[in-house]
Amino acid sequence: MFFPREMTEVELIIPSKDLVAVAKVLSGHGVFHQVDSTYLGLENLGPSAWQERAASYSALERRIQTTMQTLNLAEDYSRSYDFDTMADLDTVRPAVERIENEVKSIGDQLNNERKRLEQLESQLRQLEPIADVNVEVSSLRKSNFLHSILGVLPAANVNRLQTSLARVPHVFFTLREDSQKPVVWLLGPRSNSDIIDRAAKSAYLNPLSLPEEFEGTPAQITGSIRKTIETTRQKISELEANLRNLSGKYRQELNKLWWDVHVSRSMADAIVRFGQLRHTYVVVGWVPSADLELLTQRLKQASPEILIEAIPTERSGHHTNVPVALTTNKWLRPIQMLVTQYGRPSYGELDPTWLMAITFPLLFGAMFGDLGQGLVLLVLGLLIDRGVILKAMSSLGLLIAYCGASAAIFGYLYGSIFGFEGHLIEEYLGFHFEPPWLSPIHEILPVLSLAIDAGIVILLLSFLLGMFNNIRARDWPHLVFGHTGIVFFIFYLAFLALLGSFLGTTAIAPQVAVAIASLPLPWTLIAIVFGLLVMFSGALRNWMEGHRPIEGSGVGGFLMFLVQSFMDLFESLISLLSNTLSFVRVGAFAVAHGGLSLAIFSLAGEEPDLGFWITILIGNLFIIGFEGLIVGIQTMRLHYYEILGKFFHGGGMRFEPLTLTPRKEDA
Amino acid sequence: MAGGVTGYAAISARVRAMYAELLTPQDMIRLSDSPDFQTLFSTLKTTSYGPYLDSLKDKEINPKRVISQVKRKLADAYYSVIQMAPESTRPLVKQLYRYYEIGNLKAVLRALVTVPSWNTTETTAWDRVRDVLFPMGSAAVLPAQAMVESGSVGTAVDLLRGTPYEETLSFAMRRYSAEQNLFPLEVALDLGYWRRLWAETKKLSGQDREQGTKIIGALLDMNNLMWAIRYKVYHKLSEEEIINYTLPFGYRVQDTDIRAIAAGADIASIITRIYPDITDVSALLENPQTGLPRLEYQFKRQLMKQCLAAFVGNPFHIGIPLAFLVLSDLEVQDLIILIEAKSSNIPDEEYRPFLLKTNPPS
Repeated sequence: MFFPREMTEVELIIPSKDLVAVAKVLSGHGVFHQVDSTYLGLENLGPSAWQERAASYSALERRIQTTMQTLNLAEDYSRSYDFDTMADLDTVRPAVERIENEVKSIGDQLNNERKRLEQLESQLRQLEPIADVNVEVSSLRKSNFLHSILGVLPAANVNRLQTSLARVPHVFFTLREDSQKPVVWLLGPRSNSDIIDRAAKSAYLNPLSLPEEFEGTPAQITGSIRKTIETTRQKISELEANLRNLSGKYRQELNKLWWDVHVSRSMADAIVRFGQLRHTYVVVGWVPSADLELLTQRLKQASPEILIEAIPTERSGHHTNVPVALTTNKWLRPIQMLVTQYGRPSYGELDPTWLMAITFPLLFGAMFGDLGQGLVLLVLGLLIDRGVILKAMSSLGLLIAYCGASAAIFGYLYGSIFGFEGHLIEEYLGFHFEPPWLSPIHEILPVLSLAIDAGIVILLLSFLLGMFNNIRARDWPHLVFGHTGIVFFIFYLAFLALLGSFLGTTAIAPQVAVAIASLPLPWTLIAIVFGLLVMFSGALRNWMEGHRPIEGSGVGGFLMFLVQSFMDLFESLISLLSNTLSFVRVGAFAVAHGGLSLAIFSLAGEEPDLGFWITILIGNLFIIGFEGLIVGIQTMRLHYYEILGKFFHGGGMRFEPLTLTPRKEDA
Repeated sequence: MAGGVTGYAAISARVRAMYAELLTPQDMIRLSDSPDFQTLFSTLKTTSYGPYLDSLKDKEINPKRVISQVKRKLADAYYSVIQMAPESTRPLVKQLYRYYEIGNLKAVLRALVTVPSWNTTETTAWDRVRDVLFPMGSAAVLPAQAMVESGSVGTAVDLLRGTPYEETLSFAMRRYSAEQNLFPLEVALDLGYWRRLWAETKKLSGQDREQGTKIIGALLDMNNLMWAIRYKVYHKLSEEEIINYTLPFGYRVQDTDIRAIAAGADIASIITRIYPDITDVSALLENPQTGLPRLEYQFKRQLMKQCLAAFVGNPFHIGIPLAFLVLSDLEVQDLIILIEAKSSNIPDEEYRPFLLKTNPPS
């Protein structure tokens, strides 16, 4: 739940005779993420015959697909014909060739006729702009003094072509306007024919190939072409009908052939990546531990002599090579989406989805606390989730609903209903309602202080989670001296204690910091000692990792190191302070929410007439839309910057199991 | 303003978080101080590229694979930005990302021209091409493998039916068929790409349009100027060809500048007028072979300056994500230079002057 799905590394040793049966099981169940075993340093017996078979299947599959495309047939994944062995190329190939030849012969004729039709129509279009010119077309080709090019060019190049000929005498006509391929006529003196040709060529002006076989004026040629077009269309109709017949005749056979070859190709592709020994094959890969038992049973059924070694993968240690399959939970999908936008957890790393599922609505609700507006958001979120409104945002529907629910709870605690608070509720809504907890607009400093407290708790939790991840990764240098390591954690505590003692008697003083300060520990000494450790943490971490502690050499290098270390300490201090104060915004937005409501009430006036209620309605819509969005963004910012960055690294490899059907993407 | 804040706060937070992960000049100096490729690889693993390099097995630690993994980080950055960009700006970011697909398309076409010498009993042409392609992920529309396996440029281009490249190449293919040279195809792809990118930029409004124009315009300026100068100085093309192979828009570079270069005006004075910081252009142009890469480096510094400036001031516009992506790309370019230099034992003085990060603009 808190981690990606547990994976088990599986090593299989398969007798050669069971190779296909095992490949079938592995490819067919969508739970096996294969690792290329040819990299494992196994004995290489030269180019495997399987590579050739995989290539043959691949080529054959493409040929079948091409034939199916010609017949307008789609690949049918739903009708998963069962298969026992891999397709025999010697049997399948002649069957494919038989159908292919028949289809190709008609397909080629059809293509030729279509090309001819296209050409004829193009010629017709080319002639249309000059249809009323009463000259012999051939005379254009035989001019003594003029160089002329009649052609088509990309519409985007027209202006450029004219610019490029600005210094050369020429005439340019657009004979037919077209947003993509206008027909143009370019004329110039024959003495400049080189320049004109170069310009036309570099502007991709393709000269028209006016039909030599047609003689006469454009009008006469157009008539002849129209007749030929009619004949060609008839031929095309006949050929299309033939193809439709073939489509009906071969639909089932082609689908069966395609499925057999597709399955065989998928299996051969998998086998190519098996490690080959003399009489056995070695397969290595990853399986979600929960699916291992079923897969093992099926493998044993397929090959009784198979050797299966399952190596459960501990979550501790470095696991960059372990594929990551995230637990998919419909209710957490929008939160998971936010997390994966930031990064995919690596194996063994804590998946922050659950944490974020709690903190995201919590922080949002604290900033946007209003019972009425929260319930509106909740309903809107549910409607969006169900696709009733704003379908494009349906993936965010649940997130909006969670935030709305949280905002409603905080609204109740703040005593705020659609912006009405305290005496306003009694005056306009007709009942008495006191905030059960506090009213942000009336208790500004306590709210700000509370927000900082909440931030401190979240940051401390993030530090602990960071350390937890480092322990699991057995990354001891970072556990001790990393930015979320023990040294920084204690330094942060000391920093809070000093802050607590400094602000102890003021209203803004964060109570967590004050509580830490009250612990009987020598915080000043701790701050100095751990401050020094923070200052030299880079060097100490290098030392723990076995690298040279200080980069650079000599006195200059050491001085530079000292300056850099001091800057590191200074930067750490600033960053701890800014991270902590960053959460003030939670309180500030809670206060601002009340302030915005007050502003709307001052616009609405005091008389509860129609204008008053319209202003309140519009004001509430504005707050829900505008402030809701801003608060959402601030919540996301707090998570991405202040929380996730403390303990979450990401960089996990996606789990991509072998499968025979197109895979649905996980989050 | 409200639209800007609401649309950009999330992406702005994410981009700034990713921006903080970009390598610092100190990181780059540390990397370039690595005595060899292995040390460079180990040092690079300690940076934000670490998670991308950790998955490489020992046998895979070679320059080509490492470069591919480094590019993967850039691809992820694009993915994040595209996902989080406001709806109205997403087409622009997607089009910007297409730059890498254009690169892939060119690589595939070049492979097809040299394919007969690549196919051996052990490796196919696709094996050789696959590693140099940018990992576009699900954004790719190129049927790259099928194109490489098709064996000819004509058949491969036919496979682009329905993609944004079909229309562009349909005109250029006629010239390819006649000249058997990829140049017209590549130029057509470039021009088509930049025209679309500029059109997407101009579709924006308000701050997005203003800031987008600055970043995209600066990128376009650099490319447009380099094209014009290369065509003039290196390829010695005619005025009309240079005009047709360049673009009439940009941020600082105007069409009149490009036309002046095409007509033979003094390139150094044009560049110095546009970029007063760049002063030694004449010397660089004396030997185009070595001078043009240095000039391009100077342009990249101007671009970097423009991108860094985007991070100052109002943060709620598309300029920041765009600037971040361009800076990420420049960083990857630096890393590629480093990886190739270290793996080929190229002396420091030959590659260090081309590293942008070690000497960023102030």
